[in-house]
Amino acid sequence: MTRLLKEPLLHFIVLGAALFGLFNLVNQKGAEQPAKIVISVGQVANLADGFARTWNRLPSQDELRGLLEDHIRAEVYYREAKALGLDRDDAVVRRRLRQKLEFLTEDMVAEPTEAELQTFLTANAERFKSDDRFTFTHVFLSDARRDGLEPDAAAIATKLSTAHAEADLGELGDNFLLGYEFRDVPRSSITQTFGDEFVAKLSKLELGRWEGPLASGYGMHFVRISDHVQGGLMQLDSVRTVVRREWMNERRLQAEADLYRALRERYQVVVEEPPAERAIDAKVSGVSQ
Amino acid sequence: MKQKIAITLLGAVLGLEISLPSSAQEAQSDIGTLDKGKAERAFGTKPVYSPYASRKFPTRPLFGDTHLHTGASMDAGAFGARIGARDAYRLARGEEIKASSGQPVKLSRPLDFLVVTDHSDNMGMFPDLFAGKPEMLADPTGRKWYDLIMSGKGSQAALEIIVAFSNGRLPKPLTYSPDSRPYKNAWLDNVAAAEEYNQPGRFTAVIGFEWTSNTGGNNLHRNVLFRDNGDKASQIVPFTVEKPLGSDNPRDLWKWMTAYEQKTGGSVLAIAHNGNLSNGIMFPLIESFTGKPVDKEYVEQRAKWERLYEATQTKGDGEAHPVLSPTDEFANFERWDFGNLDASVAKSKDMLEFEYARSALKNGLKLEQQLGTNPYKFGMVGSSDAHTGLAAMEEDNFFGKTTPQEPSPERATATFVSNPKTNIKVMDWQVSSSGYAAVWATENTRESIWDAMQRKETYATTGSRMTVRFFGGWDFTAADAQTRSPAMAGYTKGVPMGGDLNRAPSGKGPSFLVAALKDPLGGNLDRIQIVKGWLDGKGELQEKIYDVVWGGDRKPGADGKLPSVGNTVDVANATWTNTIGASELIGVWTDPAFNAVERAFYYVRVIEIPTPRWTAYDAMRFGIKLLPGTPVTVTERAYTSPIWYTP
Repeated sequence: MTRLLKEPLLHFIVLGAALFGLFNLVNQKGAEQPAKIVISVGQVANLADGFARTWNRLPSQDELRGLLEDHIRAEVYYREAKALGLDRDDAVVRRRLRQKLEFLTEDMVAEPTEAELQTFLTANAERFKSDDRFTFTHVFLSDARRDGLEPDAAAIATKLSTAHAEADLGELGDNFLLGYEFRDVPRSSITQTFGDEFVAKLSKLELGRWEGPLASGYGMHFVRISDHVQGGLMQLDSVRTVVRREWMNERRLQAEADLYRALRERYQVVVEEPPAERAIDAKVSGVSQ
Repeated sequence: MKQKIAITLLGAVLGLEISLPSSAQEAQSDIGTLDKGKAERAFGTKPVYSPYASRKFPTRPLFGDTHLHTGASMDAGAFGARIGARDAYRLARGEEIKASSGQPVKLSRPLDFLVVTDHSDNMGMFPDLFAGKPEMLADPTGRKWYDLIMSGKGSQAALEIIVAFSNGRLPKPLTYSPDSRPYKNAWLDNVAAAEEYNQPGRFTAVIGFEWTSNTGGNNLHRNVLFRDNGDKASQIVPFTVEKPLGSDNPRDLWKWMTAYEQKTGGSVLAIAHNGNLSNGIMFPLIESFTGKPVDKEYVEQRAKWERLYEATQTKGDGEAHPVLSPTDEFANFERWDFGNLDASVAKSKDMLEFEYARSALKNGLKLEQQLGTNPYKFGMVGSSDAHTGLAAMEEDNFFGKTTPQEPSPERATATFVSNPKTNIKVMDWQVSSSGYAAVWATENTRESIWDAMQRKETYATTGSRMTVRFFGGWDFTAADAQTRSPAMAGYTKGVPMGGDLNRAPSGKGPSFLVAALKDPLGGNLDRIQIVKGWLDGKGELQEKIYDVVWGGDRKPGADGKLPSVGNTVDVANATWTNTIGASELIGVWTDPAFNAVERAFYYVRVIEIPTPRWTAYDAMRFGIKLLPGTPVTVTERAYTSPIWYTP
């Protein structure tokens, strides 16, 4: 590609095209007949409306004149630049236009019907399950505050197995900045605090007894779960907005892929063979060394 | 003691319930809703055993990015970013998506919130064929396309429309004309995307935009964040810079913010960033627009609207500069001090004072004394400013500042910006994998997050998700650091980060309770420091850094300096071990040199042990050789909002 950009022939063609464009422009305008820019009533209203949406009031005469002047200036430059072909071979313009066309397909995804949402929910029930929720207490053993965690953990395990429910747990473990009792907390929130692995182990523990220790990024935790509400399948009514969003997202991705495939079929693409001496490049890039 | 606190809090809960209408009889926390029924069950006839049961203070920091660009930002799009707001939210909430470069990307764990802040200028207009065009449906072809779309065959309709266009066979009602408004503003689409992905309690999509004042290449950028939902945010279009509609002067942005609140009854705040690229005009004493000293109106408006400052991001760290703080051994961090944003004017030393957070906090004290208001009384956040739609700021999962900088064997050796005229060249390896915003919100909603920002209960991190607590008061004692719930002691006896201490009780100095817990996936903590800045009796601004708590058996030397924590990084393999430092640190610190008549601020800086920088992961994974001078380790850190003392 960079090689292509350095090609003098390409430079010549681009320059030629630009000159041709300029010639056409000058020719078509002539000396006596200036091209016409018509600013419609609707456009003026649009400018004023844009101002009002920014500033919460209508523009004054002076301000509107300023807006118009700027709009006209932009239009003049736009026309001249386009006539010169300055929009061609410009990566920024190309990307912007591609973006706009892709957006067009996004915009053409219609709202789903109730039946479509229901079908989608049924087919993807797992994705829309509610989060597991846990209520648990933990006794924390800090890496930082203990020399060896294992012997301490063994001693605490013994104590916990005989402790009353009301035992002062603070005596047993270390302080933990994020708290000791977690009530009715969703799985996602526990993941944020303790990490994936901790939660994976947590969800397998039995209720009502001290278990562990479980490792986290902070140290070790003895855990007693008093309640574990399993996430369940949801009715459409309670997850409609999320189901709609996911449905729209799938359609959006599908529509984009479909449109490109269809547009691509309208072109016969010829990629020209590189000239024979291109083989030299391989050496430079180290393949044959 | 514990029981006493429980009763106090119980009283607070009941008091709240009595004074509020029934619809508001809920106390929110991030562990669910405490409604009246539950509260009665819990509190019943006897005081609750658990002192934590009725807590209403934030229990876990929420992490997010307040500054992310998508393909709708003109520069991001021009660089090849194709990720839109929807995919940006999907990544932030923990899903795997495909980056613009085609590679799959996923965060190590979800973020709690995200603000998509596309540049307001040139946000662009996108086709909206059917909106407000009833005549479209009257046309048989238009009707046919409409029906195709409605039956889920939108891409077929799009194709037919494109073909009709290219063959000049477009039905007349469909012909584009400037006053028929067949386009919709990209802003409205961003708002719609935020509405779709905002899921209170789980993931918050805050509505926002960036106002990008950049005259002469000098960065005066601000992000504007809405407390509101789409119904209010869609009533306006974001303020721009380009004349005649916009302005590059922050005073005009503040006017726009005032007009927004008046019109909609909504709430907005602004967060400035990259003072380091402003060439001396981000935190002025003399306004660059007038050449005159900042006046009463300026300081009042700025204090009102600019509640936070983005102190660290991909284009360099903005907390402190080694020239301004020569004795601060940690000041030289991810430094970007070559010049202004487009590298058109080189940096001179006299600019620095007006560019960095710490010096601005200091100058603010002086302005407050002169004008009655401190314009630079801001809290701290970090954020990415990524132009990729990807809030991926972990060192081992860094997806770059721009799309060409997404992971590749070339990126560590490529050039970010080069200006031969000024001889300034910045390499891609200098781009920092930073940062995130941590917010002490009581729940994960737009309102709660915004309110926490408004009261500055926030801190910046350079990408780590460490937990940091910071409280100031008059009565903290060493025992408070040993309680089971330091936060309860903190909120009961003092004010959190972002708060104020006024008029010291006679003979007392302020004491501070500080605590930090490592990122569960990150490096251990080296130390917690308190940075104090003050205006002394002679009118001179001072600063001093105190090591408050640290990991390991280190003792400060004769010079008062704490020895280095060490380094376990294995650069070749991009690994480290948490065998040095500490997983948590907590302590109480009392200012040993407090003077009750001097204005002061205190903020916390937490330093992690060294870990591999993103460049080390690149070198290891791509098997490349880095350029000479490329740093391969990083000490991640957090900066809290200050607590201010005013006599």
